[in-house]
Amino acid sequence: MRSIVQLWLLPNRQMPLLGTVAHLLWLAALASLALVTPHAEGAAIGATLLAVGSWFWHLGLATTLRSACQPETFLLPAFRRRLAAFGLADAAIWVGLPALLALALHVPHAALGGTLLLLAAAMGFAMGVERWISLLFWPLLVLAGWMPGLVGAVVHGALESPLTLPLLLLVALLLLRLSLHPMLRITDRPPDTSPLEGLSVGRGTATDAAPRRSALGRRFEGWFDAIAQRAMEQALSRYRQQPTAARRRTLVRRLLLPHDNALAILLRLAIMAVFATLYVVVALHRRHFHASVVGAYAVLIALARFPQIGRGMQRMRPNLADLYLTLAPTTRTQYQQTLADALLVLVPIGTVSALAYTVLGIVLTHATQPWLMLLVTLIVATGGGLVALAVHLIGPQNAVGRQLVNATVLMGTMAMYWAGVALVDALGYVFGGGLLALVVLGFGLGVWFAAQREYQRREPCFDAPLA
Amino acid sequence: MATLLPFPVQPAAPVKEPAPVLRVQGLRKAFEGREVLRGVDWTVPAGRVIGLLGRNGAGKTTLLRCLLGLAPVDAGSIELFGVPMTEPGGERLHRVGFVPQSFDLFPWMKVRAYLDFTAAFYDRWNHALAARLLDEWQLDPAQKIGRLSQGQRQKLAIVRAIAPEPDLLVLDEPVASLDPQARRAFMAELLALMGAPGKTVIFSTHITADLERADADIALLRDGLIHFVRPLAELKSRLCHAVLSRPAGWTTPPAMAGVLKARVAGASLHLLLEDVPAERLHQLAKDEEASLRIEMPTLEDLFVELA
Repeated sequence: MRSIVQLWLLPNRQMPLLGTVAHLLWLAALASLALVTPHAEGAAIGATLLAVGSWFWHLGLATTLRSACQPETFLLPAFRRRLAAFGLADAAIWVGLPALLALALHVPHAALGGTLLLLAAAMGFAMGVERWISLLFWPLLVLAGWMPGLVGAVVHGALESPLTLPLLLLVALLLLRLSLHPMLRITDRPPDTSPLEGLSVGRGTATDAAPRRSALGRRFEGWFDAIAQRAMEQALSRYRQQPTAARRRTLVRRLLLPHDNALAILLRLAIMAVFATLYVVVALHRRHFHASVVGAYAVLIALARFPQIGRGMQRMRPNLADLYLTLAPTTRTQYQQTLADALLVLVPIGTVSALAYTVLGIVLTHATQPWLMLLVTLIVATGGGLVALAVHLIGPQNAVGRQLVNATVLMGTMAMYWAGVALVDALGYVFGGGLLALVVLGFGLGVWFAAQREYQRREPCFDAPLA
Repeated sequence: MATLLPFPVQPAAPVKEPAPVLRVQGLRKAFEGREVLRGVDWTVPAGRVIGLLGRNGAGKTTLLRCLLGLAPVDAGSIELFGVPMTEPGGERLHRVGFVPQSFDLFPWMKVRAYLDFTAAFYDRWNHALAARLLDEWQLDPAQKIGRLSQGQRQKLAIVRAIAPEPDLLVLDEPVASLDPQARRAFMAELLALMGAPGKTVIFSTHITADLERADADIALLRDGLIHFVRPLAELKSRLCHAVLSRPAGWTTPPAMAGVLKARVAGASLHLLLEDVPAERLHQLAKDEEASLRIEMPTLEDLFVELA
């Protein structure tokens, strides 16, 4: 029993907000079922609350268990059996109890509702373990958008069919099988990638746990690694031919940011383009986005890279001692300067990525003001990138502080983006764009130079971060 | 009961000492108020192999990292190759080879790429030596560092540290993860490479047999200070371990010049002695009506007694 409680506590400790909200939703759902059902649509409200709460809870639970299920964990006595017992208790709480309550209250379609709850839990859990599973649901969304009449007819027919319930049960079991199998399998830990690489396909950004990669992820990783290897060899060869400061900087970049060479960036953009196109196909057939939203989203994606710099530089500290000895700087300031210069390349990379995503968005949404979007994206992504790199380089070391700083930067950048769109729209490309560039790039460069000075002033640190 | 008496100060040697590679004065370092190094004074002459001994948590790793500027110091001064270590000083760092306690370097890189990268920055890099060691130590150059075992990573760290043929090699427990064959091979390479004039090695280890093989000078770090630095041969020739036993046991150890440490265990009195002739010990045994056993201590015995 104690082990089950400890397993339940795991996600609550790691994600207390999610745990609290999910369990409040569970309470609210049961209260709706018990108190509102005889009078109105209490069952529907309760079922919706439960499905949402269950989906979130199981997504968080899977994320926690995925990092907890390391090979060493399986040495705990009867770990698998206790995990199964916890799973049963969890299913009883999120599915069994509400379903029994619904049956007792004679709620129509109670059995189907219970099965759908099980499916919601299985979906959340499966998406938490294997992110690619969420792709399985995209075709359904596409279908629902393209042919709502057909989907309505199918749902109506399904409600009448005796096969629906066993089929849904089968899907839920299949999802659980897909998620539990890799989680409970003991595999070799893949070698880590650079902690500064965050957005590459198949690499998680949120946790430092060993990455789990699907076959597709492994294939992408193989491509990226081969490209990184070639880029390093080229940089080495050029540096040997003529050891200039610029080539030395490139060499350091190839070490710290192995997947930020031209070819790897192109590959990443291509992969993102495929996924973005799929997303747009799914999302745009039902409602029409304001094209500028796509531009804002592109800037957000480009900026999402920078929080990894703060986390990564912290994790890299012990490794950087070797780089320090290798570079043999004359002063510590020179060494800090070398690192800051090497990382600065992320700003133009972020801007180019944002522009590429914006172009893609312009094409997919048939935007009416493409040049406006491109101009604003160019200015805001550059300014935002400079600020993001600056604050993550010298910003808070703890996770909460970093998240707050990140949220502030993202909100500020978004405010600038929308203000920029309005400004260029109102004053034209020259005056509006000029004013926007003056404000955003001026601020960005100011913050970057200040942060750079502060970073150079600091002593390099080579101590491993506290876990 | 154990009593540790101050180690007697040795008279200055008449021979002219070579210029020191490293000079440390009053080095202090604390972590969150806990003082690890409490005013370390230490001079390392060129051309010596120094074994840094100390118990777990004595501050060996901290001291070595401070020496190379990898950790900030709270007080004191460090001179490396005769120049204050206030700044790394450029090429001076290339005269130093460092093998850290754990080697988790760049796991996404392949062995060959990592060594090529490092070699590109050095003016002096013994490619033939690196290739030979990779081959002899069975390190696959095409393997990712993240795929290597801890022992293999340690071997790679050693290759990386000695390939530039440094004047000062600093090794922090370098052989802890190595198998006996690799350990012996490493020691043989180390002694051959660093046997050239002017080459200096400082290494911390708990494997005292390696220090005996290298005939190292022993530096003992205890209570945040370098307690002594002495050649191993001198330690072994001048120190001895005497055990006095009698049925009545011992309440206090007898006063005697040359006793470095006295410890009572049951009916036996264990004495670590320096420069005490056997005759005096026999006389003491006779006076105290005890049996006497004199042993030549190994370095490990000395470490256990003194650290």
